[in-house]
Amino acid sequence: MKPSELAGRLWRALRQPLVATVFGLLVGAAVILACGQNPGAVYLEMFTKSFFSPYYLFSTLTRATPIIICAMATGMAWRAGYINIGVEGQMVAGTFAATVAALYLPGPPPLAALLAWLIGMAAGALYALLPAVLNWKFQVSMVITTLMLNYVANNLASYFVTYPLKDTSGDGLALQTPEIAEALRLPRLSSTSTFNAGFLIAVAVLLFMLFVTKKTVFGYESKMGGFNPSFARYGGTKQVKVMMITMALSGAIASLAGTAEVFGLKFRYADNMLSSTSYAWTGLMAALIADLDPLGMFFVSIFLSGLQIGGSAIQRSLGIPLEIATIIQCCITLFVSVKLVFRLTRKQSAKAEAKGGAQA
Amino acid sequence: MNSAYIASILNSTLRSTTPILLAALGSAICSRVGVFNIALEAQMLIACFFSIAVNYTTGSVLLSVAAGVLSGALVGLVVAVLQVKYRAADMVIGTSLNLLVQGGTTFLLYLLFGLRGVLNDPKLVSLTKINLPLIRDIPFLGRALENLTILDYLCYFIAAALFVYLFKTVSGYRTLSVGINKAAAESLGTKATRIQMRMVVLSGALCGLGGTALSMGQVIMFTENMTSGRGFIAMAAASLGMSHPLLTILSSLFFGLCQGVGLALQTVIKSQLTMTLPYIATIVALVVFSRRGSGTKKKSLPKA
Repeated sequence: MKPSELAGRLWRALRQPLVATVFGLLVGAAVILACGQNPGAVYLEMFTKSFFSPYYLFSTLTRATPIIICAMATGMAWRAGYINIGVEGQMVAGTFAATVAALYLPGPPPLAALLAWLIGMAAGALYALLPAVLNWKFQVSMVITTLMLNYVANNLASYFVTYPLKDTSGDGLALQTPEIAEALRLPRLSSTSTFNAGFLIAVAVLLFMLFVTKKTVFGYESKMGGFNPSFARYGGTKQVKVMMITMALSGAIASLAGTAEVFGLKFRYADNMLSSTSYAWTGLMAALIADLDPLGMFFVSIFLSGLQIGGSAIQRSLGIPLEIATIIQCCITLFVSVKLVFRLTRKQSAKAEAKGGAQA
Repeated sequence: MNSAYIASILNSTLRSTTPILLAALGSAICSRVGVFNIALEAQMLIACFFSIAVNYTTGSVLLSVAAGVLSGALVGLVVAVLQVKYRAADMVIGTSLNLLVQGGTTFLLYLLFGLRGVLNDPKLVSLTKINLPLIRDIPFLGRALENLTILDYLCYFIAAALFVYLFKTVSGYRTLSVGINKAAAESLGTKATRIQMRMVVLSGALCGLGGTALSMGQVIMFTENMTSGRGFIAMAAASLGMSHPLLTILSSLFFGLCQGVGLALQTVIKSQLTMTLPYIATIVALVVFSRRGSGTKKKSLPKA
């Protein structure tokens, strides 16, 4: 790919999000004004403490790692027309399985680590296949089942870290598993911060997504299925097979998000560590803002991560709740979706219908 | 298991049913006019917040309920404008609004009251409790209906009223026709888009009432994300009830029962496990009833 070509692609992927971001930040500015603060100063503080200094940039990239991977997991399913809002549950199921495997599997470290990651991916994939199978066999809405399974996974993992697998060393108050062996952990990429090789996994997932969506028959088939199911069927796509593979991949990718967090940053599974941080939902936002474009999702995830890191910084220093980040994110998504419609209704309203109302 | 125990399960079943039923009715009327509204969760949660916020500042039950209903309807209006009028993608609008309200209520809680996550105060007033004079003294029934709020009764009347409106009035028939074939309805002079928007706002108001029942019924407090998936359970209830108001009562009672039993079991089984019960039950119920009347269901709920 030539540089100019790449720049063009990037511009096309980021044009809409950029406009929406400006509007989102304007809404945020109004909210900050309502808090009695100066938006300019707050934003300056926010972005200084998220992008414009090496230490904070590393924090932003560390937090972005699971968000990027969750965005990819979401994008994988959504672009094929499968509304998977259960990435959180799949991430929890996969991560928990990987952590337990890392704690109890014997064997030489590199092999045990690899096995643990694979077990996590398998668990995530199976957890995502459950709603897919129910949809196929019983036409049960995947929107509902995937969301319900989030609560099931979180509560089950919570049960395990509270009772059978709880770390009893130390004061024994924290609800968490013991730490995984040092040899299984991901290496740090920076000597001064927690930035670790998990980010490289996020990059690998991005490359994998780009490859699958642009270069494989499966990528084409799954996209067609999301775009126009009857055309895909006419074209000879085996939709059930595509659905199963899509959801399994989505779940497997989701598991990587949490596994990278455990193996690279926390070294154990702690109660609610993946849900209280809203990684999956931020990833979903990123996927929506970037209109499911892999490259776009990557950069939007980093941006949203920066908003959150900056949000916690201003909460500490200025007393503005960090949920300001959530508000800005959601407004950006809303502006993106409305903008999308304005563009499409002008060009071809039929396409808008295929994306929105008709599918429902 | 003695009868007092069963009566207390019934009591908590009835209390848990109310928010789900009201939201499910909201979901049902959206399905009936062909709008896929997944912002139910947002419509409920915002009402939980504003009913408690107004309750805390004014101490008036009536104003709190009004605030809950209005705030729910307001979110419904956003859905109506973006999704129905401007035809933005339903999943995008729904999920963004759900998350926006989740973050927004936490933000407002801090901004307005300086509190993080929970607003719980002894001065909060509960909804009017009804203890029927004669029934109160009947042993089993008296316990089962003990201390129910006015909304716990009202929700069934609302369901009945919706049934009468949709199936027994001319305006109701027009409304239904929009969901069956929008273009045909429009060709007969029905203002289809306006009807759709009106129904979505109404669903917001119903969810708002449901959210109010949640925050001012069994417990009187607001906690971050306290709806915890009830909007989606309500969608399942509406889908199982084939978007019919009276059948939706039955399916909502089933989900209420699951929550009631889950609460009762917490004395025997660890709460983390019983908490999964309503969610697993939702999936199982959708599977078990999937074949029955699947034709109607396909129309009311998407493949997605």
